[in-house]
Amino acid sequence: QGAQVAFGGNQDTSAPVEVTADSLSVNQKDGTALYTGNVIIAQGDMRLAAPRVLVVYSEAQQKIQRLEATGGVTMVSGSEAAEAERADYSPEEGVVVMSGNVLLTQGASALTSQKMTVNLESGTAQLSGRVKTVLNQDGQ
Amino acid sequence: MARAQGLYSQVIAWLKILLPLVALGLMSTLFLFSRSTDPVSELPFADNLRRTGDAISEMVSAPHFSGTTSRGDMVTVTAKRALPQVSGDVDAEEVTARLQMQDGSEINLDATRAKVKEGEQRVTMRDGVRITSSTGYELTTDVLVSGINEIDVESEGPVQGNGPLGTLNAGKMRIETVENGKDVQMLFTGGVKLVYLPQNK
Repeated sequence: QGAQVAFGGNQDTSAPVEVTADSLSVNQKDGTALYTGNVIIAQGDMRLAAPRVLVVYSEAQQKIQRLEATGGVTMVSGSEAAEAERADYSPEEGVVVMSGNVLLTQGASALTSQKMTVNLESGTAQLSGRVKTVLNQDGQ
Repeated sequence: MARAQGLYSQVIAWLKILLPLVALGLMSTLFLFSRSTDPVSELPFADNLRRTGDAISEMVSAPHFSGTTSRGDMVTVTAKRALPQVSGDVDAEEVTARLQMQDGSEINLDATRAKVKEGEQRVTMRDGVRITSSTGYELTTDVLVSGINEIDVESEGPVQGNGPLGTLNAGKMRIETVENGKDVQMLFTGGVKLVYLPQNK
């Protein structure tokens, strides 16, 4: 079953994407780029942090197809934050797919699931795969 | 036979003495009053050579160094001019180092000045060093050291420029073979920042 929640404000997906990291290695044969060492991908007010990000680049259209962040990813957008083992972010479509025990915290409540697809432009997140909602009763 | 009397014979007799003396006098002026020509200073030296000092050390135009690595990559260093120094190093100008990897990819390093240390098979490039790679990276840095018989390039300072993914700057850059020795990689360290402009829709 799935759940649809709002996630971060709607975001201008044509804003520049900034990637900072400790180091970057570019393989000269096929041009794949691998960022390692507290990598932060930022666009607008969305931040995605991970220890390792592989850039899958499409030579044909001269643009980034997707950024594969692995090794424990935290994503912050506006006031919401989400954590997962892995996240695939494609800047062109402005979609982030987080997978591997996703934890989404929104204010007091938290949701967990196997997979979450965040559409940055519309500011919505689609959770799927054993979605559980944990509502903290305040005042306890 | 006595000389005939008469004025004519006397004049001729005196002339026979005077004329040789006059000739002798004329001849002597040839050497005594000649211009003082000092042959050495008169020789026309090429002035422009003396000013630039090129004439002192022999200059090689369009020199060419190359080396192949154990993996089969080719490193060729060419320059417009090279001035071999006494110390065995060679100072070169307008230098291009071309790294051709056996997997087909290529990296060019250009600089206006370089010093080739033949003994250590290394070239140090400075002044406007530009790095262009077949994977679409175009970077500049101040000083870069590259091996001649192996793929081992290292920038001494920060590198900036743009790549296929956008504008990039990093604290340091190395070009080396990956551990499995098959591929060559460009390794940026010391803090990397890339700005990518999505061209969506």
